[in-house]
Amino acid sequence: MAKSLLIISRQAPWSGPSAREALDIALAGGAFDLPLGMLFLDDGVFQLAPNQQPALLQQKNLAANLQALPMFGVEDLFVAASSLAERGLDPDGLGLPVQVLDDAGLTALIDRFDQVVTL
Amino acid sequence: MSTLHVISRSPFGDNRLASCLRLLGPHDGLLLCGDAVYALNPGSVTVAGLNTLGPRLYALAEDLEARAISDTGATAVDYPAFVELSLNYDKVNSWL
Amino acid sequence: MKFVIAVFSPGHAPSSRRALLFAQAALAGGHEIVRLFFYQDGVHSASANVVTPQDENDVPAHWREFVTAHQLDAVVCIAAALRRGVLNDEEANRYQRPAANLPVPWELSGLGQLHEAAQSADRLVCFGGD
Repeated sequence: MAKSLLIISRQAPWSGPSAREALDIALAGGAFDLPLGMLFLDDGVFQLAPNQQPALLQQKNLAANLQALPMFGVEDLFVAASSLAERGLDPDGLGLPVQVLDDAGLTALIDRFDQVVTL
Repeated sequence: MSTLHVISRSPFGDNRLASCLRLLGPHDGLLLCGDAVYALNPGSVTVAGLNTLGPRLYALAEDLEARAISDTGATAVDYPAFVELSLNYDKVNSWL
Repeated sequence: MKFVIAVFSPGHAPSSRRALLFAQAALAGGHEIVRLFFYQDGVHSASANVVTPQDENDVPAHWREFVTAHQLDAVVCIAAALRRGVLNDEEANRYQRPAANLPVPWELSGLGQLHEAAQSADRLVCFGGD
């Protein structure tokens, strides 16, 4: 059976290539039909904030790539409730359908994957 | 399954350690290396909480010694022990 | 046991050296490294153009020696490398750049190589940051 991989993305979207490069790991694995999950944690939750305009910073919009995740077979998408709350983001107003997990849920999530990469 | 979490950044200017401790499971281990070992400095605000992890707390020996941090509650490990530690847990989660 | 070791930091970062010492200890302990994978700023750890001051630890050189001595499978992510100016001859020619800095033993390839190796390994261990 294929090993499952959880990618934990902790980087804000417009501070360099890190958020995009975390996403690229997920998209590459999805293309191979591997069991993948993606968790947005800490500043990574800002990737899910709605109505962002990175074109003003001459950056490509990450949202289009994030929305492609289910098409690449990455349907297990999660976000940390505590990270959202700390940053004043509304769990009901995010730009991507994600499961909101409390801290105990995060522990259980990490536990059930075979491998984890945190970027 | 159990996870060995690995952190290399100082907790005094970065939230990785705080985030990790919030989701650390009861069977998980924590290995501090690089500037993260400053979290073990005697008298620091971080050390008492970390010591409650007991035998699940590890630190890279060279990083402790280089920074003259001693008498910690962490198990000091060299590289061969780090390799074995990574196999004693089901997976390794490095907080890059 | 089988390891994949992924490096996310340049040679001047302590974590690149830490990855190297972990890899050396893994082999010395009788384990196998199925692949080394260099991603994000880790591609700089493979650069042949890093010039380290003579009285400092030349981590990129040690990586090169280690990979060569043990004939390891060492993959540098091509997308991450192009973005950061780490090119082999083929890519330098393709994009008409004046210098290549990724000779053998390194191989430029895609992220699929990380997934493929992780599937066949007992442990995926990543090194990055400080």
